[in-house]
Amino acid sequence: MRMRWGFTIVFVMVMAAIRPVSAIASEEQGKEQRELFVTGAKLWPVYCAQCHNARPGSQFSPAQWDAITMHMRTQSNMPAKDMRAIKEFLKQAR
Amino acid sequence: MLAIALTLIAAPRFGIAEDGGDTRVLVQFRQEIETLKGSEAAERRRVAQDEKHIQELENQLKLLETQNQKFGKTASTLEINETKLSSDTEQRFQDLQNQVAAKNSQPDFQSEMNRYLGTHQLTIAGAAAGAFIYDKQTAQNTFSLEFEPLFLYRLNDWILFEGTIQASLPPGSGASFALPVGTAQIFLNDYLEVNAGIFDEPFGDWYEDQSPLWVNRFITAPLLYGAEPLVPPTDIGVQLRGSVQWGALGQDVDYTTWIANGPSYDPAVPQPVVGQTLNPENNIAVNTNGRAFGGRFRFYPFPLDSGLGRLEVGASTYDGKWLDSNWLYSWGLSAAYLYKDLQARAEYVESYRQMPNGSAPDNRQGWYVQAGYFLQHLPSTHISDELDDTLRRLELLIRYSGVNQRAIVADEITTTPAIGFSGSPSIFSPHAREVALGIDYWIEPSIVWQTEFDLELPRRGGSLVTFNGAGTPKSNPINATANDKALLTQLSIGF
Repeated sequence: MRMRWGFTIVFVMVMAAIRPVSAIASEEQGKEQRELFVTGAKLWPVYCAQCHNARPGSQFSPAQWDAITMHMRTQSNMPAKDMRAIKEFLKQAR
Repeated sequence: MLAIALTLIAAPRFGIAEDGGDTRVLVQFRQEIETLKGSEAAERRRVAQDEKHIQELENQLKLLETQNQKFGKTASTLEINETKLSSDTEQRFQDLQNQVAAKNSQPDFQSEMNRYLGTHQLTIAGAAAGAFIYDKQTAQNTFSLEFEPLFLYRLNDWILFEGTIQASLPPGSGASFALPVGTAQIFLNDYLEVNAGIFDEPFGDWYEDQSPLWVNRFITAPLLYGAEPLVPPTDIGVQLRGSVQWGALGQDVDYTTWIANGPSYDPAVPQPVVGQTLNPENNIAVNTNGRAFGGRFRFYPFPLDSGLGRLEVGASTYDGKWLDSNWLYSWGLSAAYLYKDLQARAEYVESYRQMPNGSAPDNRQGWYVQAGYFLQHLPSTHISDELDDTLRRLELLIRYSGVNQRAIVADEITTTPAIGFSGSPSIFSPHAREVALGIDYWIEPSIVWQTEFDLELPRRGGSLVTFNGAGTPKSNPINATANDKALLTQLSIGF
């Protein structure tokens, strides 16, 4: 009986400790991506639409977007960081 | 107690000796002594029993103490095990969490997918279009088809190879193929890219940004980039290009410089003449040609959050020796503006071609202005949802374009319709003008059904240069070519 309670307490404590730690790590990892995503969401309808209708991210796979955004960086000559943001947006908004 | 008893025993003997009448007393003493002896024995038995009981209790206590010590050791062992177990469990959870985070996060999933797909990625995009073309002056009507796959071969994050194949169906033969673009794009850093190969001329906005089938809001090209272009559509060489944000988000500048094989002119014409058409590309530069040098600079003044829309203003130049010491100089200005559902753009280009043998220069000017308005935010008609949906997919367009050149070469006039070209002979007028009206119906963001009505309204004439199989040209003055009308409709698909 005592062992069972011990396991339960340990389990709860471990889960309580692990979840925030992983969340913080995930937040740190995803912070840059989220900033890129937000910026990309603002740039996408304007920068793309300056020449053609902005195509949704669902039309291509992430790997295809890697190639297409490189191509479009050349065609549009937009700043590299802006293209990275648009690429992140297109990949995530699928 | 024993001493008292002996005293009591001894005392009666002396008494009996002294007084024989006290026998009863002696008996009583003896009885009392016996009673005392019995009590003493009972007391001894009780003491012995008590001692025995105490001994038993002590033994039990020792046993309990021993057991207690054992329990204590067991509890300590259990506590140690529990601590160790909790530590191990925590570590295992941490490991599992790390594994889950490592294995199931999207970037890693993407990484896994990329590993599965391989680091070298081939992506096929491009466009296709099928059109119906009618021209009044030539009384021609025909279907036409063009297919332009775009191959993107991505080697890594900084090297991309690109190839565009243009397949079309000219009259009276099978498919014809061209390679308008074949480049290696090397991204050296965020601000510098090398683009080498055969590329769309980065002059103005048209060739690079607006010419793809589904990107062009119209079916045809504006006159200065159409049948009689003022600068070559493509070139073979090396570009350096890049861009940087100079202010707030949206405030950018970009640059492109390049060196290329340079301009060349229609080799079918026996000798250079004014009005001669530029070759679409110069595959092999001969010794008589020098390299061409070009530059383009574009400026974006409005911040993205300003609410003023996106404005681009640019300037381009393209200069190259086309024959011996004779140069083609050209420059242009461009502007593009996007504000909500309105998009507008305009370009102006001038070229100056030096002619051999003291001939007057071949000067040309060209321009276009176009605007489009997307009806996607049109208020409801309150008639039907289907009608609202249809109307909101429409984009209304208008474009005015023109070219001035002193002469037209008769041998170069073609009236064969093709994708992007109505076949109207009025386009080959020394001072061609065209008003194009369009309606685009957007089925998807990259699939559009386009309809264009062209009014060819040449302003005035000039010279008509003819060879008629001879080596020497004849130049005759001509009036403006007759006005013309053309109707084109096309389904364009960007894939």
